[in-house]
Amino acid sequence: MRTRATALRAGGLLILAVIGWLLPYQLDSYSIHVVDVMIVFALLAIGLGLAMGIAGQINLAQVAFFGVAAYATAILTTKAGYGFWTSAILALAAAAAFGLVVGLPALRIQSHYLGIVTLGLALAFTNWATNATITGGAEGISGIAGPILPGIDLSSEYLYYYLELIVFAIALAFGLFVVHTPLGRRMRAMRDDALAAGAIGAEVPALRMTAFLLASVYGGLAGVLYAGLIRYVAPETFSIANMFFLLAMVIIGGRQSLVGCVVGAAGLTLVRELLADYPTYAQIAYGTVVVLTVVFAPTGLAGIPARLRSTASRLGWTRQPAAAGTAALGPFEPYTAAQPVDSDTRRTEPILAIDNIDMSFRGLQALRGVQLTVAPGEIRGIVGPNGSGKTTLFNVISGLYKPTGGTVHVSGRNLTGASSHRLARVGIARTFQNLRLFGQLTVRDNILVALDDTRTYQAWRYLLWPFGIWRHDRNLRTAADEILTRYGLAAFGDALPGALPYGIQRRAEIARAMARRPRLLLLDEPAAGLNGEETRQLSEIVRSIRATGVTVIVIEHNMSLVMSLCERITVLAGGTVIAEGTPAEVAQAPQVIEAYLGDSDLSHDVPAPVPTEIAS
Amino acid sequence: MQIFFQTLIGGVSLGAVYALVALGFSLVYRTMGLVNFSHGNVVMIGAYMASTFYLTAKLPFALATVIAMAVTGLIGVIIERVLRPLENKDFDLMLIGTIGFGIVLEALATLVWGATGRAVPSPVPAAPLDLFGIKVRTYDLVVLAIAAAATALLMLFLQRTKRGAAMQAVAMDHEAATAVGIHVGRSNAIAFVLGAALAALAGSLVGPLLYVSPTMGGTLGIKGFAGAILGGFGSIPGAIAGGIAIGVLDSFAAGHFQGYSELVTFLVFTILIVIRPTGIFGERTVNRA
Repeated sequence: MRTRATALRAGGLLILAVIGWLLPYQLDSYSIHVVDVMIVFALLAIGLGLAMGIAGQINLAQVAFFGVAAYATAILTTKAGYGFWTSAILALAAAAAFGLVVGLPALRIQSHYLGIVTLGLALAFTNWATNATITGGAEGISGIAGPILPGIDLSSEYLYYYLELIVFAIALAFGLFVVHTPLGRRMRAMRDDALAAGAIGAEVPALRMTAFLLASVYGGLAGVLYAGLIRYVAPETFSIANMFFLLAMVIIGGRQSLVGCVVGAAGLTLVRELLADYPTYAQIAYGTVVVLTVVFAPTGLAGIPARLRSTASRLGWTRQPAAAGTAALGPFEPYTAAQPVDSDTRRTEPILAIDNIDMSFRGLQALRGVQLTVAPGEIRGIVGPNGSGKTTLFNVISGLYKPTGGTVHVSGRNLTGASSHRLARVGIARTFQNLRLFGQLTVRDNILVALDDTRTYQAWRYLLWPFGIWRHDRNLRTAADEILTRYGLAAFGDALPGALPYGIQRRAEIARAMARRPRLLLLDEPAAGLNGEETRQLSEIVRSIRATGVTVIVIEHNMSLVMSLCERITVLAGGTVIAEGTPAEVAQAPQVIEAYLGDSDLSHDVPAPVPTEIAS
Repeated sequence: MQIFFQTLIGGVSLGAVYALVALGFSLVYRTMGLVNFSHGNVVMIGAYMASTFYLTAKLPFALATVIAMAVTGLIGVIIERVLRPLENKDFDLMLIGTIGFGIVLEALATLVWGATGRAVPSPVPAAPLDLFGIKVRTYDLVVLAIAAAATALLMLFLQRTKRGAAMQAVAMDHEAATAVGIHVGRSNAIAFVLGAALAALAGSLVGPLLYVSPTMGGTLGIKGFAGAILGGFGSIPGAIAGGIAIGVLDSFAAGHFQGYSELVTFLVFTILIVIRPTGIFGERTVNRA
């Protein structure tokens, strides 16, 4: 099956390459110009797709990245007297630097805030280009020196096409490579849930900057090619109207698919060319299509095959694949080799020592002077009525909240207020009360993101040693299959988490946390919503995880599970620790009975719907 | 010093218009968590409508404004109805959807009124007042008075009427609001209509201050939006303060940096928002994004 699909794909690629190579022979001089412009827009669209569709960063400054590179090429060739190729490299660097500056606000703000800031900076760029003397003001710069290659006359638009085609093919292949390997997977995880991505070790700030860097380099490539093709730049090319046109390409084509972005760019450039005499009608048409796409086909043209397939299988036209609903959760295969993970540390040192932690949110004190010391290899239970601060405590331990007072030591290191991805690297993994799997990633990809331990700064290897990345990715896939099998999830590897039953999602989240190979595992209400058999399996899984030397802290309302599973239990009430000890000791402590069981309504037996305790 | 106050007065007057635009943004956002990027284009349509009824149909300026508000209110209903399936679901898609609407509105305006644009004479032709040596255009005072009255009416509506209270409830928690029997869809539609009507009011007021053209919506919308965010997105007093702040910033930037005023305005805005993302008054509702 797999080899046949690969052969088909290779054949398709070959045909596309031949068509691409022979295309100029079929076109007149005007059409080839249109195609040349189309390729420039396709490069721009890939960059925008990488930032918006893959990394989830609203970027309305793509057209400014394009402009910076085009203007840099123009100024360097006409005013500074550099050759085209030297100027091109400097222009790319300028676009990348500008991209990083525009991306800086993304470290603090997201979503619509980022939209308005990037749009404002794009306007600022056009404003500068229209007014500065070096840019030639509203008239722009003409007479840009084109690229020169020995023996090839690149002033012919036919031959320029081949230059563009080669750059485009490499750029698209590189983009697709990034998307389907660890870096892109981490960006997609960040797009779906930045909090959960941080908790499994993705350096969210660095990834956001990487997204803007990629977008600006693609924008820069487009700008350089544009300057070499048209030999003239003027401010209106980089206007907000063209930014929205570019956005329409990406949305209509499908922002989460680079190929979709390219198709959107090609389609819209063609339509605009066909309606060149009626620009206003063209504008109405693509505006309307954007609205319709957003409402009826949010995944754009690229999403149509998948939608057709799902419709076909719903109507019974195709054989149902053995996926989602039908297959059952497999049995858990216990870990065999019980090797302690950190054999070198003195076993007496606590893996987690929390001292006098305070946490308050604008006057509401959620934690007050909390003390907690957990020995390595322990299973610790944390119980308490709803609103007693259990999840807040987890959020402090895993770095989602910075405590307002007190210290957190992990294996003797002071890590108070460290970021969640740093704590994840130290060996803390967690699950979430309200399930935070990455919704647009398959279960396998969810595991793969967690397995990968490369740092974002190592992304330079994508440029210099892609083969190493490819091999690394292959190893990760083998490891992911092992984990899927161990947790009985093999049948669901290719399913999206949202389509799976609740119990399977809970299991997948534990598998994802364990893919981090943690020393300390935090489970937030792992039995919530599970049936009796699933709860029994959970208890078996937690014991097996501990047998490998991992320390487990579990928040749970199911008292019989906590009593049978945990060696020690900490009881929280009203943000303070009111009791700690073995299950038997805790169950008899009068203050526990008063705060917890003494309630006439036995609050722990009524699993009230708990509001999200993690700010998003 | 005189120049300083002169610039300040000009900035406050333009800022009052930005404040009305910001108010529309904030009202829609706090009710349904939607950033309406087509809001600026609705302002532009309002400006054209008002100027057409005022100049061509020779109606009184006030009446022309009211008719323009009714027409844009209708546009608001249409936008809300089309995008309703996305409400409270995908924030980014909705944002892009409204950009699509903006593109269409701009093209429609070009079709109807042409691409060149028009100047609108001031409806109050009196000579500028002289206050301690500072010249104040009477029209600026009219703009300030109308903006203040509109804000006061909006506050009264939100705080004193049952419908307004229902909208506040939807803003805080749309699920809980549904549970106590509030029609969330209707509440959202009203927010959209009110926002669009405010846009038309801003548009008709800005006509005599600026040149009316199909592309005016872009800049006005972005600056109004910047004002709303600067004040604290979703907050009514924030929209007023932020809008006026952007107007004053704009006015001083134009005075000191001439052609580069937009560059300076947006750089300052970016720095401010990065330093304090919640704005002056803080975001009123919980971050819905």
